[in-house]
Amino acid sequence: MSLMRDLYRGETEFDFIGRRRTFFVISGVIIAISLLSLLVRGLDGSVDFTGGTIVEAENRAGVDVAGVRTALGAVGEEGARVQLRVDTLSGTESIIVQTAALDAAHQDRLIEAVAEVAGVSPDETNVDAVGPSFGAEITRRMIRALVIFLVVVAAFISWRFEWKMAAAALAALFHDLALTAGIYSLVGFEVTPATVIGVLTILGYSLYDTVVVFDKITENVHELGSRHTFTEIGNLSMNQVLMRSINTSATSLLPIGSLLFVGSYLLGAATLREFALALFIGVAAGTYSSIFVATPLLAEWKEREPGWQRMQRRTARRGGEIAAAAAAPEVAVEIRDSGAVARPPKQRRKRR
Amino acid sequence: MSRRSLWVTLLITLTIAWGSLAGVLAAGWEPKLGLDLQGGFSLVLTAPEGADSEVLDKAVEIMRQRIENMGSVQEPEISVQGDRSIQVQLPGVQERERALQAVGTTGELSFRPVLDLQTGLSPAFLDGTLPVPEELLVEETTTTTIAEDGEAVDTTTTTTTTTTTTTTVPPVIPENIDPDTGLTIVDDPQATSYLRDENGFYYYKVGPAFLTGGDIAGARAGYGGVSIGQSGGGWNVDPDFTSEGGKRFEEASILLSTYAVGDPRRAMAIVVDGTVISAPTIAADVPSGEGLKADNVVITMGSTENAEAEAQDLATILRYGALPTTFERERVESVSASLGSDSLRAGLYAGLGGLALVALALMVYYRALGLVAIVGLSVFGSLLIVSIIMMGRTQGTTLTLAGVTGIIVSIGITADSYIVFFERIKEEHRRGRNLRPAVDTGFKRAFHTILTADTVTFSGSILLWLLAIGPVKGFAITLGIATVIDVLVAYFFTRPAVMLLVRSRFGEGGVFSIRGAMGRHAEELAEATA
Repeated sequence: MSLMRDLYRGETEFDFIGRRRTFFVISGVIIAISLLSLLVRGLDGSVDFTGGTIVEAENRAGVDVAGVRTALGAVGEEGARVQLRVDTLSGTESIIVQTAALDAAHQDRLIEAVAEVAGVSPDETNVDAVGPSFGAEITRRMIRALVIFLVVVAAFISWRFEWKMAAAALAALFHDLALTAGIYSLVGFEVTPATVIGVLTILGYSLYDTVVVFDKITENVHELGSRHTFTEIGNLSMNQVLMRSINTSATSLLPIGSLLFVGSYLLGAATLREFALALFIGVAAGTYSSIFVATPLLAEWKEREPGWQRMQRRTARRGGEIAAAAAAPEVAVEIRDSGAVARPPKQRRKRR
Repeated sequence: MSRRSLWVTLLITLTIAWGSLAGVLAAGWEPKLGLDLQGGFSLVLTAPEGADSEVLDKAVEIMRQRIENMGSVQEPEISVQGDRSIQVQLPGVQERERALQAVGTTGELSFRPVLDLQTGLSPAFLDGTLPVPEELLVEETTTTTIAEDGEAVDTTTTTTTTTTTTTTVPPVIPENIDPDTGLTIVDDPQATSYLRDENGFYYYKVGPAFLTGGDIAGARAGYGGVSIGQSGGGWNVDPDFTSEGGKRFEEASILLSTYAVGDPRRAMAIVVDGTVISAPTIAADVPSGEGLKADNVVITMGSTENAEAEAQDLATILRYGALPTTFERERVESVSASLGSDSLRAGLYAGLGGLALVALALMVYYRALGLVAIVGLSVFGSLLIVSIIMMGRTQGTTLTLAGVTGIIVSIGITADSYIVFFERIKEEHRRGRNLRPAVDTGFKRAFHTILTADTVTFSGSILLWLLAIGPVKGFAITLGIATVIDVLVAYFFTRPAVMLLVRSRFGEGGVFSIRGAMGRHAEELAEATA
């Protein structure tokens, strides 16, 4: 309860940066596993990326998988992936057939065959067919979008803060990407365009979280930079914004959870489910990385700067007292106010 | 800011948001749904490497015209994508065959003499081009043959095919003929070909073209045209020829009219892309050797149920001919209407569920401020719905499933704006400010953060919109609109609402009040510094 109260008031005193080595090892291991899995197992791209044909029809005839396969044999597609899926709400069953990319004539024959065995007209089927070169084009575009996105982000943070922060933020982004891709690779979830949208959204979230922490750090460096080490300021800043981070993640997860729930129970909502899954994994990764990767990494780096090293030596002489004081915001207020008026503090400077 | 001006701002905002929503709903306007939400047909066609952009534009024009002629399609979207792709979206279209035909017909249009006609079997098996299939060997087959040079040698021979005839048939199978189906693989309009109709019912042997697409100036479908030999009116197609084309047609009709009524050779095959689209016969009352005048030509389609559609389709094909280049079907997507409505339902449930959960969480956590957030979410929702409907009406922007996910994500973004603001108030209050100044300064700083955050998200969505293709675009559009609305709501609704609330009874007393939500410690601190 007291932890909850401290959280609520932004008065927690977690030493995030002090344990950075532990977090770096954890993140390092996770990234290594992810990269290894990506290298060995790769990603299971949907037809949108690899090219292929999916035909889906309501199973009105009540045929089983073997029956579908026999019907497919007649059009030379007995090797197709056949699946029956039941909509939990309406109770209707669907036949889903997936093959490699087909030419136009083959495609039409496949659609007719599936429709016939399912007992529906070809016009009632759902078809998604992608040629291999189109799939490659989508992949190429997505990667290009991602690279441009990262470059713009790096430029923006460098301009708004400094390049070391940009590098730390990008490291956190890379961490999230690797983690999400790693989970998809390990579990074998299918990667669809909806997944990619989800991942791009995560990048936005994760980045925004990181920017909020960095913003607070910049503000605190101006206020406390003459007395405290970068590590202390970093810890203080993160504890101050922790509540917002948790709240934001929680409120983001609520609609996503709603998506995941509805998407899992309604047949028509495959896109929603895929999207929500990517978000769910990513928001968790993003929250983790902005706290445990971005700032500790930045602190590690900044502490090597001559200015901050001098500060370290000075505070070391004074002992641990200041470090504790710096971590508690209300004490920090007292420190700030000691030389100023006793009334509510004036705004020191334009903060942003 | 005075209480009065805050009230004015608040009321204007609420009137605009709720009033416009009520107005839009009263007018019966609905968002324009993408085809994944209402069902429909979408495909991407790609021209060969090095195709010129003019050719693509021409093809888009032809396709658009053809689709408009299909009639029932509401707001088709046809656009050039990238260097050599065309995206066609036909929301609401369920007849895939017709849709594919409208956009997919390639190759050249030609009018050809019918040399032979069979049902269910290619004439190639019967005229000695291909060995006779075994199942036909014992049957008696009647064949009408004609000399290869087109000279009418009207010989009707009754051949009882035996095993000996198969051995006498030249064993050399022409390369351009599929030995299984007996059909020409690649049709050359200037050569003899074995082709079949769209249903695969009639099989034709057709000679070199009388005239090609360039000889036709236009065509109209109409009802009740003069058609001698048929009782009553019917649907028909009236083609216009160029002067050169007219002459060629007249000559052809003279030749065809020499065949007896009932002879398949009295028909003229209209061939597009190796398929016989139609094979009208010269009317029975045209005297032998006289032919038709090009000005008076009418192709009658009868008055059956499908006649209108057939007439329209034929007129379209005659008018626009084939597409100027060949296209590969790169991507075909068809969504049945039932899947579309399921998706829409799922999106609505997920959206409403998410909204309710977020509202509940804010309410529990921020109490009276949560109340502001709930009204704020309804203002946000109203404005977003109105914007999407208006974008659909003015810009033709469709709402897709990806767009719906964009809306659901934006609920999280707007909720974050409240959190940033409310956490700021708490922080300012904790630092010793009274509630009212805490709200005032809190808003100034929080708004700055909200603005930065929304700018980043907005720029991100513009970037996504520019770079991505397909579903990601729809996501980017709704997300972009939502961030703009979020900023507006924060400034014109949340700010006056919280400022008024803090000046009211809700501000100070009770667990439900803003002060209650700040925590006891903060209260003490505030009193100590006051």
